[in-house]
Amino acid sequence: MKVSFDWLKEFVDVTVSPQEVAHRLTMAGLEIEGMEIVGSDVVFEVNVTPNRPDCLSILGIAREVAAVFGLPLKMPDMVVKGVQTESTVTVEIADSDLCNRYTGRSILGVTIGDSPQWLKNRLEKCGIRSLNNNIIDITNYVLLELGHPLHAFDEDKLHGRKIRIAKAGHNRSITTLDGADRELSYDMLLIWDGKDPVAVAGVMGGEGSSVNSDTRNIFLESAYFEPTSVRRTSKALGLKTESSYRFERGTDIIFLENALNRAALLIEQTGGGNIHQIVDAYPEKYVERPVEIAYDRINSLLGTALNKAEILETLQRVGVRTEDRGEKCIAIAPPYRRDIREYYDILEEVARIYGFDRIPARIPKTALSDGILNSKEVSVGRIKETVRKTGFTEVINYSFMNGTDLELLSIPAGDSRRSHIEVMNPLRQEDSLMRTTLLPSLLNNFRYNLSRGTRDIRLFEISKIFVDEGGQLPKEKLMLGGIFFRENMPSVWKDETPSFFTAKGTVDCIFDEMKIKGQSYEPSSEAFLHRGKSADIVLDSVRIGFIGELAPVVVEKLDLKISKPEIVVFEMDLDKFLSLAPDKLTYVQIPRYPAVERDIAIVLDEDISSAKVMSDLSAYISGFIEGVELFDHYKGKNIPQGKKSLAYRITYRASDRTLTDSEVEDVHARLVDYILQKTGGQLRA
Amino acid sequence: MDELLSPEQLLSSLTQIEEAFRSDIAKVATLADLQQVRAKYSGKKGLVTAKMKALSSVPDPVQKKEFGRRINELKNFVEDSLKGRELLLKEGEQERRLLTEKIDITLPGKSVQFGRTHPINQVLSEIKDIFVSMGFGIEDGPEVELDHYNFEALNIPRDHPARDMQDTFYISDDVVLRTHTSPVQVRVMEKTKPPLKIIAPGKVYRCDADVSHTAMFHQVEGLMVDTDVSFGDLKGVLELFIRSFFGKDTPVRFRPSYFPFTEPSAEVDIGCVFCKGAGCRVCKTTGWLEVLGSGLVNPRVFEMTGYDPARYSGFAFGMGVERMTMLKYSIDDIRLFYENDLRFLRQF
Repeated sequence: MKVSFDWLKEFVDVTVSPQEVAHRLTMAGLEIEGMEIVGSDVVFEVNVTPNRPDCLSILGIAREVAAVFGLPLKMPDMVVKGVQTESTVTVEIADSDLCNRYTGRSILGVTIGDSPQWLKNRLEKCGIRSLNNNIIDITNYVLLELGHPLHAFDEDKLHGRKIRIAKAGHNRSITTLDGADRELSYDMLLIWDGKDPVAVAGVMGGEGSSVNSDTRNIFLESAYFEPTSVRRTSKALGLKTESSYRFERGTDIIFLENALNRAALLIEQTGGGNIHQIVDAYPEKYVERPVEIAYDRINSLLGTALNKAEILETLQRVGVRTEDRGEKCIAIAPPYRRDIREYYDILEEVARIYGFDRIPARIPKTALSDGILNSKEVSVGRIKETVRKTGFTEVINYSFMNGTDLELLSIPAGDSRRSHIEVMNPLRQEDSLMRTTLLPSLLNNFRYNLSRGTRDIRLFEISKIFVDEGGQLPKEKLMLGGIFFRENMPSVWKDETPSFFTAKGTVDCIFDEMKIKGQSYEPSSEAFLHRGKSADIVLDSVRIGFIGELAPVVVEKLDLKISKPEIVVFEMDLDKFLSLAPDKLTYVQIPRYPAVERDIAIVLDEDISSAKVMSDLSAYISGFIEGVELFDHYKGKNIPQGKKSLAYRITYRASDRTLTDSEVEDVHARLVDYILQKTGGQLRA
Repeated sequence: MDELLSPEQLLSSLTQIEEAFRSDIAKVATLADLQQVRAKYSGKKGLVTAKMKALSSVPDPVQKKEFGRRINELKNFVEDSLKGRELLLKEGEQERRLLTEKIDITLPGKSVQFGRTHPINQVLSEIKDIFVSMGFGIEDGPEVELDHYNFEALNIPRDHPARDMQDTFYISDDVVLRTHTSPVQVRVMEKTKPPLKIIAPGKVYRCDADVSHTAMFHQVEGLMVDTDVSFGDLKGVLELFIRSFFGKDTPVRFRPSYFPFTEPSAEVDIGCVFCKGAGCRVCKTTGWLEVLGSGLVNPRVFEMTGYDPARYSGFAFGMGVERMTMLKYSIDDIRLFYENDLRFLRQF
């Protein structure tokens, strides 16, 4: 909200600079966000928080200035003097729960014309354009000055010179001042004349009853509308006005009469006319709410040592009446401070006027929390570090995805990734679904970086996905996703490991880091992965994720403009993964006797997986076999077509003595026989 | 032959041998040269060996003793010299061989290229570490949240103007994408008895997008509840945090503000990190930057979660991690965090 410093000075004799006023107001909770010099005046941009509608005016700001600097407040003339004729308009409130008070004055025989320059200037400084209509300009002027919205009707257009405040009821529409036809709903509060609706209460007047250059007689409205009702109506109509903004935050039900008088006097001053008696329908009288608060409660909650006099003086400054009752006081807020309802509202007034900066800081003495770092937090941190150290850079993506993403990946119907939830009001249609997989975002990141010339793209993300499982809230699962692409990186030191295995190495590193054993890789049926180069990651018979090269058909759709890229992606359910992690580690004694190693190279059918051979070897029962390690995999020269060579290093050790050569030879020979027979292979020559 | 020589002659022949040896060994350049010199003097037919043999023919025992001593001295001298010379020559040979094995030590090492942690998560970790060191626990909660936890239980009823403070993504009338991590506080209070000292880091959502707003961002909210927690405690903890994060001389100020779930509420400003308080574009010439929202927990929130406000008090605070990161690294566009350009990410 814009506030003219000159205008402010009409209400309070402040002698310090605008800068000082701005600083002190900011430190009392009225943030001055900006200052602009306009001619000889300074205009403040004030950020008024939703709890302080009383500050949405020059008067409101002036009250704060007066409170902060301890100065008296000066009020303009707000009393209509002299004998007045009775009102020519009758007022009836049908829905008194939505309109607690309605006042008005007829002003007959006015001259409509341009507003005086001083008034126009003030409106403009505060961001309101003059409409070359003194009546409308004055209602706006009083709104800015006193914070109370007013509305002027052309009295001659009010059927039967009647005003009735009632809900819309059935099938009503109204054309508002801005020329728009508004669909009304049943509960919206309207102002009616003897026949038709003439205004949407507190939001905007109707076109039919509006003041124009031909208007001679006006009826000026100043009312109190129930905030929630105004807010609902304004939201439903998508119509936010200076009036609705103030009504929905709460206006001053007592002061509204003064605003009416102030406007009537200004109209008389600029446009002549004859002010009639006030008409005042006031079915719900304002009730003060005394609040009780103990002085020591204030001090213990603030951490201060204020005495009774200091507290009472501070409250009086902000217009709160107080009655001292020994250990405590009774505080009564003025009607414009509807935000003061409880003891902590009083506490806040004391704190902000006394000054937050004067409250001493202290380090609390409290008990420690249990579970300082939860174990999941720690585990996820370790996983993240592991992936990072294998060369992947972390990304963070929005939690949204596009419906077409699932099509691109050919995610089948019935797959849990199809059970997504949708945002009702997305910023862009492409961001309307909550992610059920991290893959689409990673593919976007990949394309983004590739198109900017990056050729080493190794990215990972750890984020939640959201799966609709029928509950009120979706199931949130923590996922790890990654994408790997390195295009023939020229390097002094060659590394010819295929992309799939480098990425798989990262996954294995995670298992190793977390001391989780027994993972297996089984052929995957994910449609978006290369049929021959993809695997499901399985742990304890539970599928926890996948890894594989993107299927050529998907790559083609990505339109990457590079030929045959090897893009490896993986995704893992970390919640499942961590649930299978061991609770605790137990130390195993370091072997005391030496080990003996023997190698075995087998030529066998290339369809037999290395994992199968490994599991066969590991299944061989011997007390001496400590470990089996694959150290060579070879196809090509010297190996027949359709065959491959696998070489294993077997470690033999006894826990209670040094094995003799003959013992090792004996068990190794038997193992060789066993594995050749098991695999149908031959020893490599 | 030799027996014909007088003792004087004998001794002088030894001196001659010694001088000849000194001259020969000085000329030795290779192990092969050395071998020749060794054969000439101490080989089976060497000059020194010959003198040893001649010793037996000296009749006079006194002379024999004297001659024997001298010849031994010569022999030792020759052998030590040969040995010393051999050692030096061998070292030289190895040196030459190692030189042929020389590598270009300026070639790059085969380093493992680590990836980087996203700057938001680096700063998030730093924030978490500071609060954990002050005894705060870390709590987590759903990102898709009930309206009840996101708003109602935090004293933001429907149709309240405070709802305008946060542009909300809706899943349904009752389910929203959380607009702050404060609902975690409510969930924790519902299941835990005080005292409480927690932070809730995580993603939050607002339907808003420009240079300084993204539809998703990260927040860390904190809560401390006990029987005697005051506004002074709030100031103490947050000042300590800010000085840990931004540096110990960072100016801090607390300014009254409004949040529905705290009262009194305070915005926390730090002296502008760009202009050091002189006034610049970033701080809108005020010299101050808003970094945290905070306040004493509104007793109404306690009532709704079943804490007795007459017995307990507490403070809560919240900050945007993106903003903290932007201030820390002078980043001027929040959208950079979500473009995930490796040229950006690898800088941190």
